[in-house]
Amino acid sequence: MITCEEFFAEFADYLENQVSPEVRQELELHLSQCRACHVLYDTSRKTVKIVTESSSFELPESVSDPIIERVMARLRKDR
Amino acid sequence: MSFLSEIRLDDKFGPFVAFQEALGFIPNLLRAQTLLPRVIEAQAKLESAVRLHDGAISRVQKERILLGVAADRQDAYCVVVDSKVLASLGLSDSQIDDFLNDYRHADLSASDLTCLQFCLKLARHAPSVRSEDIQALRACGFTDESILEAVVVTALAIYRCTLSVGLGPEPDFGPRKLASTRIDPPREGELHGLLPDIHEAAQRRGPYVPAPYLSPSTFAPFSVVQKSHGFVPNFFRAQTLRRDLLEAELEAVGRILLPEDVLTRVQKECILLAVSAANLNSYCVAMHCNLLRGLGMPSDEGDQIAVDHHQSSLSRADRALLDFAVKLGTRVSEFSLKDVVKLQTLGFTGAQILECEVVTALNNFANTLQMGLGIEPDFEPPAVFQENKVHLSTTANRQSGMSVVLSPQMSVQDLDAGLVTQAQGGKLEAFEELVRRHSQLIYRTLTAILGNPADAQDAMQDTLLNAFKHIGGFQGRSKFSTWLVSIARNTALQGLRGRKSIESLDQSGNEEDQDFRPRQVRAWQDNPEQCHSKSEIRQLVERGILGLPAKYRVVVMLRDIEQLSTDDVARQLGLSVPAVKVRLLRGRLMLREWLSPHLMTSTKGAAR
Repeated sequence: MITCEEFFAEFADYLENQVSPEVRQELELHLSQCRACHVLYDTSRKTVKIVTESSSFELPESVSDPIIERVMARLRKDR
Repeated sequence: MSFLSEIRLDDKFGPFVAFQEALGFIPNLLRAQTLLPRVIEAQAKLESAVRLHDGAISRVQKERILLGVAADRQDAYCVVVDSKVLASLGLSDSQIDDFLNDYRHADLSASDLTCLQFCLKLARHAPSVRSEDIQALRACGFTDESILEAVVVTALAIYRCTLSVGLGPEPDFGPRKLASTRIDPPREGELHGLLPDIHEAAQRRGPYVPAPYLSPSTFAPFSVVQKSHGFVPNFFRAQTLRRDLLEAELEAVGRILLPEDVLTRVQKECILLAVSAANLNSYCVAMHCNLLRGLGMPSDEGDQIAVDHHQSSLSRADRALLDFAVKLGTRVSEFSLKDVVKLQTLGFTGAQILECEVVTALNNFANTLQMGLGIEPDFEPPAVFQENKVHLSTTANRQSGMSVVLSPQMSVQDLDAGLVTQAQGGKLEAFEELVRRHSQLIYRTLTAILGNPADAQDAMQDTLLNAFKHIGGFQGRSKFSTWLVSIARNTALQGLRGRKSIESLDQSGNEEDQDFRPRQVRAWQDNPEQCHSKSEIRQLVERGILGLPAKYRVVVMLRDIEQLSTDDVARQLGLSVPAVKVRLLRGRLMLREWLSPHLMTSTKGAAR
């Protein structure tokens, strides 16, 4: 079985679902036997899910509209 | 005597000894490369791993492939050498003559004939190879390993033929009579046609040969390539059935591509990119575009080299170097000593010309191998290259000197294109619509760089004004949104310079020095987000992201919040894909550490 070090070397691609079937098989075998890596994987997966679904940094129209209006007004004036 | 000057190397020089022992002579092709002993060592490694012993296919079979490819390319030099080697393995002169005259009537077994036809097809027009061809080999008993070997031997044949044309070595022995015409392609049904078919080629499915997993931490050559390339490309992963071949290839890469003492690494990557593009190899195009980005070249410049290097902003001398390489790599029949002289008059030294030729040969080796094994891409090739493939394949316009400039019409499919044209004509309504479409992207980019939403709102106005001011200069080489991000980035960085705290966005290069290892190993609740309100989670995430160092913050923001593809993030930021992956993982792991105390199994609620 591969070591934790080896698991970590492939971790970024595994998290992005970008590993070949051969690599996936090795990694999943490791995951099934190593609690630390399993926790790492599970919590990282959850992190990505939480972050992508958090709707963070949405600029409300109530903020963006006045900015865009100001810019457009200035451009019209400069013509 | 050959095209380039030679220096006298002792016959005790390691590779010479090896060839003397294996073949009974030292081929002039090697002596023609004495200006750079390290490239001779590279070739010796390759030949000894690929050719000089029995493997899954026999030495005679290997030599027949080499001779067959050389004869098909009318390469008189290699034909003479390879005939001699076959004779030393016990083939009679008349058997060799029959083979050279018409291999189909040279008493080959059915499986040898199928194998040879496959190799010739691969050598002649690699993009036309597809999985049916591999099935044909399997049907006559070829194993995974023997298929791999046949492909690698073909690639070696191309390597040697490319060099023999470029170097013009004296023949080692008396001439051999070649058939006056090339043998017709195999009939339909024997193998698939030799005619290029780009559309079908795009649909072929690889990889053709299974490859067991090998880890960089146990297989040392992989850890070397991870350092030099930033990752282990599928190109190498696809050959793990044979570690000895991999070791030899990686050593050749180390001796040919990595040293900076003759040509620079950037010049060599440009050669690899331009010749791969001319060979229609989108795998290698994507790879070298990425490596060039990692070496600091803007992504649209790489795209331009792939489509037509004449329009790139490379120096005149470097463009001539690429002309030389593309001609040697793809139009051997036109290549002559004149091409070498032309580079010399431009100031290139013999060693530089030699290295350019060896890089071109190595490129053709890699292009052949990738197509022959159907290796899956690591990255998306530039969209402009994909779309222009068919256009590029007609050598007619290359020869007539027609050039291709990337223009909005032929560039990436961009839904904004119509509005952009109107806005460039001064239509304010069109500009306003564009701004509304992309306001979130602009805002998030600004927040990521400035690290503060209030500053981002302030910088928004300047960004939009700058965008309008410069929109006339947008040439459609990239997507409009990519261009907007670069305007936002520049505006934000100008703002930062005015302030005290400048956080560097690209301390690129030394990613692995500051190895970040995760510390928290406590499990989380099953659906942690459900134990908190949506706004609590959002606040937590925003605070976490704003707390990241700038270079990670930008990547996480564009990938996970704005949800661009990794490839798009790399383009937006002018980074290589591997660099983005490293930063993304690090950013995500840091966020994980930050979120952990709030979401662990033992804590209930309390999100502070």
